[in-house]
Amino acid sequence: MNISNSTTAPNAGEYAGDEVSAIVLDPGYSTTRAGFAGEDVPKSVCPSFYGHIDSDPPHYLFGENAIHDPLGNLQIKNPWGSDGIVEDWDTATKVWEYAITSRLTGNRPGDPTKNGLNDGNANGNGEAMDVDMEGLENLENMEKPLEDSPLLMTEPGWNSVKAREKYIEIAMEEWGTPAFYVQKTGVLAAFASGKASGIVIDVGASHTSVTPVLDGMVLKKGVQKSPLAGNFVSNQIRMIFKQAQPEIPLTPHYLVKTKTPVDAGAPAQATYKTYDIPPLDSFRYNEEERVLTEFKESVVEVWPGPGRFTNGTNEEIAKSLPGRPFEMPDGWNQLFGSERYRVSEGLFDAGAALQDADNPRPKDEHTIPRLVQAAVQQVDADQRPLLLQNIVVTGGSTLLYKFNDRLNYEINTLYPSTRNKLIAPGPLVERKYAAWIGGSILASLGSFHQLWISRKEYEEHGTNIVEKRCR
Amino acid sequence: MASGRDVRDMLGLPVGGETPKAAIQKRAKPAAPGKKIQGVAREVAALYGERPPPVAVYEEKKSYRAKRQSTGPAKKWVPQPFTNQARSDGLILKHWRRKPTSTPAATNGEDIAMEDTEISDSYIEDSSEFLKYNVAPDMPTFTEEEYDAYLRSDDWSREETDYLFQMIENYSYRWPVVWDRYDYQPSLKSHLPTSQEFPNDIEQALATLPFAPPKSRSVEDIKARFYEISAKLMKLRIPEVQMDADQYATYEILTKFDPVLERNRKTLASALMNRNMDEVKEEEFLLAELQRINMAANRLDAEREELRARLEAPIPNQQVSAGLASFTSSQALAALFSQLFQADRSKKRASGGGGVGPGRLSLSATDLMATPTSAQHAQLSAANRRQSLAQQAVQTPIRHLSPLAELRYNVSTHDRLTSGITFGADKLLKMRQAKSNVQTQKIGQALAQLGIADIISIPTAKVGDAFEALVTKVGKLLDVRKVREKEEGECRVLEAMKARRMSEIQSDENGGERRSTKREVSDSQDRDSADIGDDDDDDDADADADADGDADVDAEGEEEDEDAEGEEIESQMQSTRQASEVEVMSTRATSAGHKRSASVLSQVSTKSSKRPRK
Repeated sequence: MNISNSTTAPNAGEYAGDEVSAIVLDPGYSTTRAGFAGEDVPKSVCPSFYGHIDSDPPHYLFGENAIHDPLGNLQIKNPWGSDGIVEDWDTATKVWEYAITSRLTGNRPGDPTKNGLNDGNANGNGEAMDVDMEGLENLENMEKPLEDSPLLMTEPGWNSVKAREKYIEIAMEEWGTPAFYVQKTGVLAAFASGKASGIVIDVGASHTSVTPVLDGMVLKKGVQKSPLAGNFVSNQIRMIFKQAQPEIPLTPHYLVKTKTPVDAGAPAQATYKTYDIPPLDSFRYNEEERVLTEFKESVVEVWPGPGRFTNGTNEEIAKSLPGRPFEMPDGWNQLFGSERYRVSEGLFDAGAALQDADNPRPKDEHTIPRLVQAAVQQVDADQRPLLLQNIVVTGGSTLLYKFNDRLNYEINTLYPSTRNKLIAPGPLVERKYAAWIGGSILASLGSFHQLWISRKEYEEHGTNIVEKRCR
Repeated sequence: MASGRDVRDMLGLPVGGETPKAAIQKRAKPAAPGKKIQGVAREVAALYGERPPPVAVYEEKKSYRAKRQSTGPAKKWVPQPFTNQARSDGLILKHWRRKPTSTPAATNGEDIAMEDTEISDSYIEDSSEFLKYNVAPDMPTFTEEEYDAYLRSDDWSREETDYLFQMIENYSYRWPVVWDRYDYQPSLKSHLPTSQEFPNDIEQALATLPFAPPKSRSVEDIKARFYEISAKLMKLRIPEVQMDADQYATYEILTKFDPVLERNRKTLASALMNRNMDEVKEEEFLLAELQRINMAANRLDAEREELRARLEAPIPNQQVSAGLASFTSSQALAALFSQLFQADRSKKRASGGGGVGPGRLSLSATDLMATPTSAQHAQLSAANRRQSLAQQAVQTPIRHLSPLAELRYNVSTHDRLTSGITFGADKLLKMRQAKSNVQTQKIGQALAQLGIADIISIPTAKVGDAFEALVTKVGKLLDVRKVREKEEGECRVLEAMKARRMSEIQSDENGGERRSTKREVSDSQDRDSADIGDDDDDDDADADADADGDADVDAEGEEEDEDAEGEEIESQMQSTRQASEVEVMSTRATSAGHKRSASVLSQVSTKSSKRPRK
């Protein structure tokens, strides 16, 4: 028996793989995932948020460790726009580059200007630096981070043509990749579950999207997105905290020096840190968001059905269920009862969402069942049953407890006459990074190599080749 | 050893001394390594004692992974550049490959490595492994002339057609995807002449466009256009007559595509899919209900069947519906006769050719001239005889007398005789007994009603027959009476239900005038002669009619008894309602000999002959 291990080559025809050490980059609103194709998890998962200190020149901070450091005047920003398309291309490039270089290709020696970490003590201002960098690049091509790795990027289903062209421009011009391809997250998430056709429900941080995929191709008319996703749930939690009597204090970790245990509902007994030059509000917001993430992970639950949370006696039933305790970083703690259902109900039932002046009532057509309905409606009638048999659930926010039960109930209510099947991979990594994993599979296939857009082709046709090739 | 040989002997195996020896030798082998057991295993083996365990315990050899064979220094892998033949731009990617081992044996490893990297740098692998996956869809092609001559369409511009073909090729005939991405924007370039004429006035140029601004095409539109072109091109390339079967089948499919039909089908499909929960549930419920009704119907049929069997009405589907009616045609009669004749002949042969004499009751050609009734009689008795024929095919010949002679000499034939002597009176008395006391009483009452004495003074065979016939009929009469009571009960329930419903409807009618008029109209349609004056009366009459109808069906057709002469059973049923008629009937029954039609009598007599046998 030929026992295969890491030192033997796989048998011919064992799998259609042919690895060319391609890098898969899956940028998202919350995190940016990067890793080598053919691996099963992304090696590098970095927050998409970056720190920015408004000095002269501006100082940027990237990576998990840097952005949680409470430096003076630090603000936390995100290059993604509210419409789910990258807005700030310059920093987005830097964030992505950080994700690639920090763990995959490594920081090349003698390239301090490139990774942005040392920008503070480099050149005079941004423009000058840019000029400088270009000069450097022209002089020495070796400085580009992706010199010998083809790059597969993912994009949301609603990405604009301009954004796609920007992707290839960044990859080719700034990173110097020999070959490039861009694929939609929906398709890749379906691939990660071993499906070529299906409906992909992706509930991420900033957006929920529903993407019908047929034979590995996105049906563009059916792509639906809505802002009711993880951040929406966070906002709902904030509102719950605000509306509670007395108001529940939300103190992030970095402000707490020491804490002493207190009874449930009692005010916190903690000493707080003070900073001479405190970080800005956006930093605090981001840190609060971390606490809320913890809250979502440990307390929030989706009403599993049958019926909506606000229907009939469901609320009463929820009240009678045992609550879940949560302790804030400053020691304040309480048992959360039916509120924990309430905050996630808005994803499915716009009417049940909490609202105030800053958070208007979400639109009905933005709830997940309505998105699915709209997406299915845009698909040819013959394909609908097929798609409904393969409903792939992905995205970090689908990890909310009982989310799948509820989704299953809602879809079966919408389409009682078809066989609907949810495909939600159990392992956390597969759920969170489905698009990356799909990209990893795709880019490591031998038959994929004919699809790459090579540098030569790019130089020949320009950026609009991405529209022709990446359909 | 001896036992082993015995077993072998019993099994019929060759008694050879060689096979056991071999077996012993084989058995001995595994024992040998057992002695070499070491360590704890040896102690365990000692605990077994003299008798080894029933399951042989073999110690697996220690199965660590095989030690890696050191075959020299570690193999080198190199990022091997390669080109993909499916690409036209010569993109060079690198994948990891074993370094070719063609290096000569040398002393200095570093030097070799240097050499090899040099070699691999210059060498570019030409990978065709995945070339087979690079497939392009097969598209029909056409020239300008062909397009102008055959493929023009009012609805589709040349440019859009080209666009369509491009889309189909791009998406490899995936129609839903083609439709999804189909976004044709007519460019102004194709209308160059128009825009040249009015170079300054774009609006006017747009207005004079030969084609309407882009319209949304459905999947069916797209398919229809493409199939149409494909079919035309196919016909152009290969004339219809020269197509082989496959090609013609494809051609047929292409020409027969009907977008309207397809669209309707899809509308239906989506309607089916978009049913709401209630409709789906209703469908499930209806299906379950249908199944339940079917089962109930089967049960009801079985019950009816049982009832018919009890009444021994002619089974409707046997011969033609009525027993007698089937023999009205001469053809049927002839067939029947030949059948009987055949049966008789076989019997004759079996009985050794005896009884050729004139007195014997047997069929001859002259019997064909007999009346239908006699034929019926003959058939039934023959059928009866045929039954017994099977049992007593070989028997001593019986001398047959003519009926007249039989009567004269008081000779009776019996299929089977009970041993001992019985009195005719006893026989008659026995007939009065039924299984249950109540039934016996009832029979007694009925007979008393008919004025028949408890003890019949001279129970001759003939009287016995008559009495038997009578008792059978009385039995049936009682059965029928029971059924009738049951049906009447049902009718009452139904009437009550109907009355209640009617009263409900009437209350409705009082509420709304329109509905009542509607009902009246429908009523007048139902029954022409009905008086529409009073609703209440009307409804009652309706209910009655319904109840009657029910009774009719359930009680085996009362209508029939009014005109059917020969159907004695039905007539009896009617007679149950009027005591006077019962009496008439009884006179008929007692004086059955001459007046009644022979068929019924014979039917009864066959039964009487069957009964003792049972």
